[in-house]
Amino acid sequence: MSVSVENLSYSYGPGSGGIEDITLSIEPGEFCAVIGPSGCGKSTLLRLISGFLTPNRGTIRIGGDLMGNRPPRQRDLGVVFQSYALFPHMTALDNVAYPLKLRGIGKIERRRQAAETLERTGLSGFTDRLPAELSGGQQQRVALARALVFQPRALLLDEPLSALDALHRAAMRDEIRAVQRAHGIATLHVTHDQEEALSIADKVAVMRDGRLLQVATPTEIYDRPVNRFVAGFVGTANLLDGVVRGPGHVETPIGLLECRPSGLADGSRVTVCFRPETLQLLTPDIAPTGPNQFAGHILRDRFLGSIRRFDFAVTGGVLLAETSHRDAIAGLGIPPDTIRLIRAD
Amino acid sequence: MPVVMAVYLAYLAAPMALLLIGSFGGSWTNTLLPTGFTFRWYAEIWADPSFRRAFTVSLIVCASTCVSATLIGVPFAYAIYRAAQRQIRIAVRILYLLPIAAPAIVLGFGFILVFSSEELPFLGATWLLVAGHLVLTLPYLVQTLLGDIRHLDLDRLEDAAESLGAGFTSRFFDVVLPSLRHSLTSGLVMVAAQSIGEFQLSNLVSGFLSRPYPVVLLQAFYGASGFACAGTMVLLVLAIVAGVGSASAGGAARMTA
Repeated sequence: MSVSVENLSYSYGPGSGGIEDITLSIEPGEFCAVIGPSGCGKSTLLRLISGFLTPNRGTIRIGGDLMGNRPPRQRDLGVVFQSYALFPHMTALDNVAYPLKLRGIGKIERRRQAAETLERTGLSGFTDRLPAELSGGQQQRVALARALVFQPRALLLDEPLSALDALHRAAMRDEIRAVQRAHGIATLHVTHDQEEALSIADKVAVMRDGRLLQVATPTEIYDRPVNRFVAGFVGTANLLDGVVRGPGHVETPIGLLECRPSGLADGSRVTVCFRPETLQLLTPDIAPTGPNQFAGHILRDRFLGSIRRFDFAVTGGVLLAETSHRDAIAGLGIPPDTIRLIRAD
Repeated sequence: MPVVMAVYLAYLAAPMALLLIGSFGGSWTNTLLPTGFTFRWYAEIWADPSFRRAFTVSLIVCASTCVSATLIGVPFAYAIYRAAQRQIRIAVRILYLLPIAAPAIVLGFGFILVFSSEELPFLGATWLLVAGHLVLTLPYLVQTLLGDIRHLDLDRLEDAAESLGAGFTSRFFDVVLPSLRHSLTSGLVMVAAQSIGEFQLSNLVSGFLSRPYPVVLLQAFYGASGFACAGTMVLLVLAIVAGVGSASAGGAARMTA
């Protein structure tokens, strides 16, 4: 079923945050990740949808039904909490069977369904363990199974991977995605990890200071950020202040850059955005003579294994670039069609 | 450090050891240790109807106190935890800690004044004794429970239960109560020990037929010292039985949860 919120606002009190006029919808089977820095209101949004907070304004619909003041227990949503919140006195199986018990399903049937769901999340051998006897990743799976076993109308994930180490996080990410696909359930995933959001979601929503800045597919968000904040928050980016100088040119502190005609008026103030991995490398034997090519030197070099990320000083500024190339670099070129101009706020 | 520890333990154990020895001693007058060996004193206590009655009264009062402390203490601790306003929480804390601060004798005189009136002529009733013990022991139980609730992060567990479809009753019985089983057990051990050993209040408010063991025991000290020793040993055993009993009752609650 779908989840949609319209003009949703909530305030914790003057000056202490909340969200402002959020409109967002998640279609059946769609996976939507909400990202933003801490305090941006993403967890508030989740608590509003799940019913733990009541909005000041706006509406929440789940499967078309208006939620109003309906308490969380009547919303039929599977929620996975940041610290899993497994019941410490119940075994994995009892934890998963609990929502079925609340729905009046008989003991034998609910244990059968719980075992089946646990099996689907890869935990068949651990049904009789208490949460304290399970690893972080296993607890995560139990929490996911518990949130899905009663066929909820939507799944809400509140930073579910933040307690796991990097290795398990990547694996769990794929697993959550697979389980979500198998259930075909509308999912809202709140995270501060932009890489996690890009890799897992069909749709990414970026929030800041209680407002929704952009909602789009991961590639769209990355390739066509609507403003400087989104460009900088999602992935890494070179962001320069610029002024449009005729169609196809922009003036920046590092010089006049050639770019695709933007349609922006001459003299408009813009943010010039280009991604580090799109930069073209110039080895010492190639003279930087083409358009958008700059000579310079490496300021800081970071070898990260699969890539090498370096700060490159050119006249007027420092550019961030990424490459798998290991040799000396004497210059950088910025391919004109990778440059995106964002109207300054 | 070990020396200090040994001295302390000796200091702690010596009176009990002496009591144990004395309770089996034939005669004990003006010597360091008694002479002879006998089971006579225990037999005399067993034969004494007032001691037997007191023994039963103490067990009944203790069990009733534990049950009522649980029935009142658990919801009470939960309500304090849930109280929205900080000021209310602090006020209630001060209020329920008062019985610890006030001497039991003050409470006892209060009971006498109120319950020997014509309108409320209940002085001497066993249930009144239970009520008194409840007032004295409840702070210990509530304090233990509150400490546990705070570190359990009960809020999050209840949120999870709520999101899974649990209303208040289900949350309370399926999540809150089982989560509190450990602190309930340790709190009840304290309640039981306090109730069994309580003398001040019991001495003032118990009736002739509802005297708990410590009150009757005092009279033993006017007689033979062997008899007094044996009587005290029985109290010690009673306290241990009560402690183990309440702990296993808490454990049983855990099993059924």
